[in-house]
Amino acid sequence: MLNFKINSNAIEKIGNFNAKEKEFRLKNLDSFNKNGFPNKKSEDWKFSDLREIVSKNFKKLDLKVVKTDAQKIKFIQEFDHNYIIVTNGELTSSNFKFEEKNKIKVQNYLNNNFINKQENNPLINLNHALSDKGYFLEVEENYKLKKILVIYNLYTNNLNQNILNCKNKIKIGKNSELHILEYTINRSKKNFFNNIYENVVLEQSAIYKNICIYNEKSFGYFHKYSSNKLDTKSSSTFFIFPSGLKFNKLDLEFDLNGENSECNLQAASYLNHDDHQEIKTRINHFAPNCKSFQKVKNVLDSESKGIYQGKIFVKDIAQKTDAYQLSKAILLNDDSEFNSKPELEIYADDVKCSHGSSSGSIDEDSIFYLMSRGLNRQEAIKLLVEGFLSEITNEIKSNSIKNFIIGKLEEQLHEHKKN
Amino acid sequence: MLEIKNLKASVDGKDILKGLNISIKPGELHAIMGPNGSGKSTLANVLSGKEGYKISGELKYEGKNLQEIPIEERAQKGIFLAFQYPTEIPGVNTSNFLRTSLNKIRKAKGKKELDALSFIRIIKEKSNELGMDEKMLSRQLNVGFSGGEKKKNEILQMKILEPNLIILDETDSGLDIDALKIVAEGVNSSRSDKKSFLVITHYQRLLNFINPDFVHILSNGKIIKSGSMKLAEDLEKTGYKGIK
Ligand SMILES: Nc1ncnc2c1ncn2[C@@H]1O[C@H](COP(=O)(O)OP(=O)(O)O)[C@@H](O)[C@H]1O
Ligand SMILES: [Mg+2]
Repeated sequence: MLNFKINSNAIEKIGNFNAKEKEFRLKNLDSFNKNGFPNKKSEDWKFSDLREIVSKNFKKLDLKVVKTDAQKIKFIQEFDHNYIIVTNGELTSSNFKFEEKNKIKVQNYLNNNFINKQENNPLINLNHALSDKGYFLEVEENYKLKKILVIYNLYTNNLNQNILNCKNKIKIGKNSELHILEYTINRSKKNFFNNIYENVVLEQSAIYKNICIYNEKSFGYFHKYSSNKLDTKSSSTFFIFPSGLKFNKLDLEFDLNGENSECNLQAASYLNHDDHQEIKTRINHFAPNCKSFQKVKNVLDSESKGIYQGKIFVKDIAQKTDAYQLSKAILLNDDSEFNSKPELEIYADDVKCSHGSSSGSIDEDSIFYLMSRGLNRQEAIKLLVEGFLSEITNEIKSNSIKNFIIGKLEEQLHEHKKN
Repeated sequence: MLEIKNLKASVDGKDILKGLNISIKPGELHAIMGPNGSGKSTLANVLSGKEGYKISGELKYEGKNLQEIPIEERAQKGIFLAFQYPTEIPGVNTSNFLRTSLNKIRKAKGKKELDALSFIRIIKEKSNELGMDEKMLSRQLNVGFSGGEKKKNEILQMKILEPNLIILDETDSGLDIDALKIVAEGVNSSRSDKKSFLVITHYQRLLNFINPDFVHILSNGKIIKSGSMKLAEDLEKTGYKGIK
């Protein structure tokens, strides 16, 4: 079994830090070393025993990644966009040709917040201790980007039993608007672990839209914690298409801090083989008149495992909260598994809160109906699966982006069927 | 066209069809009437190949043993079932689905696939004939359709797929008189000496418009009486109890 303890000199190796930062990093490293990778005994990880998954698939976790030459990528042709390229977590290139200069700031991210908040997620500790790359993106006040920003997340083919710790921050100023497509291109043919910590801050009336998709199947093991803070009247919308990785846990937290702020999150995935995917959301209604919405749809094929843990917290002052949560899963195979754990914690009395979860095998009557019209069983299932997931893709407003995403998902479905 | 001899079908040990005989020649329209639970839908399902039934007896379609033909091939070979309860298929666009289905069937027949434009021309024409709102075609398949809209959508598929053996399972149930006339007209205009119909119904109503060549009474899994349109008229007066 892999030894998960990391020596404190690992911190010196990644940089020279001032006393305050060094202490912060050391403290977090201590916490990580005390706990190691989380296992199923921890409530937050009861469906994803990461310790076992890492032990099974990694002989070592190398912190050092050999730098590669600049890599060519195939840019998306289907629609105009700004872009940044992030190679193995590091900001390597940016282009905002559609925008006004000095409205957008993008740079390597340096953490300067060393407040030692008690973290109960060992992977956040690990990130705080060892993060050495990432980006900071800021949109000034009163500026709406004219085109979407594509973040090309490139993982190179020299990654092999590495662990990356990346920290990113996005800040959208008052009355500003940013749309992002996070597009992950994975060239690694070997296992690697990617541990991301992300901070998103929306000021008053800011609008943030995020679509995230992984281009093709890969051997990545990803964990991402994202903290989203929403001020008055701001709104964030997420479309997540998370399949394509061996392991993926998205731990997304939204603090609705200002009145009339809202967050909307929708996810659709098709999992196959021993894919393991968990989406965890925590929505904190800290202010009155806020809205939150989550819809998570999973299709699970042979031996895959999908999890949705969704918590809605409503503080006593958060009256007139409107919260909705739904997860639905189709199991195509007896060996596949879906777990969901919805949780409500409500301290206000005037709230509208609904949640539901369902999972089951594919409807045989529907298959029969389609087959009686000349489709074979596999074609019928494919059509039903696409139909099931299209409820999410159809919500994407821009037609060119919607069609791009639908095309990618069809590739995934097709790709997986071939294997 | 269709030859059924001593057909027995059971589900989970429950006998539903108990020795049914029927023979349908090209061009003929047969009506089957029978009380609820007599096995009408089961017969329709067995003919289109639904799984889960234990079947014995002889089932011949165009001289071939039907039991050896998988569901989708039956459709490709011209068997069409208009469902009593058409299934709602979320996320699947009605028009796209119809084109997929038509092209599967055309391909199996060795015909060229239709491109989107030629297909739209056909579907517009046929749906207009049935008095369907074109907007329905861009909606999700059967999702949120009213009872009448679902039935019309079945008839639309029948018209587009151009099958040889058409089974209508209570397509008339739940239709108002105008819709009923449209459905009947859809059937009448599709009739030819090459196509055969098996029309399952509860009521004489529909039969008044489509003039069956034969009427059969199905009761408790067997055909207990066969005759002409007169039989349907008698049945309307006496009820199933009066038929011996
Ligand atoms: N899958 C099934 N499992 C058990 N019983 C069934 C099943 N399908 C049909 N039946 C029973 O078989 C009988 C005939 O059903 P059906 O063919 O639907 O009748 P009809 O269409 O004439 O009303 C009914 O009693 C029904 O309850
Ligand atoms: Mg019936």
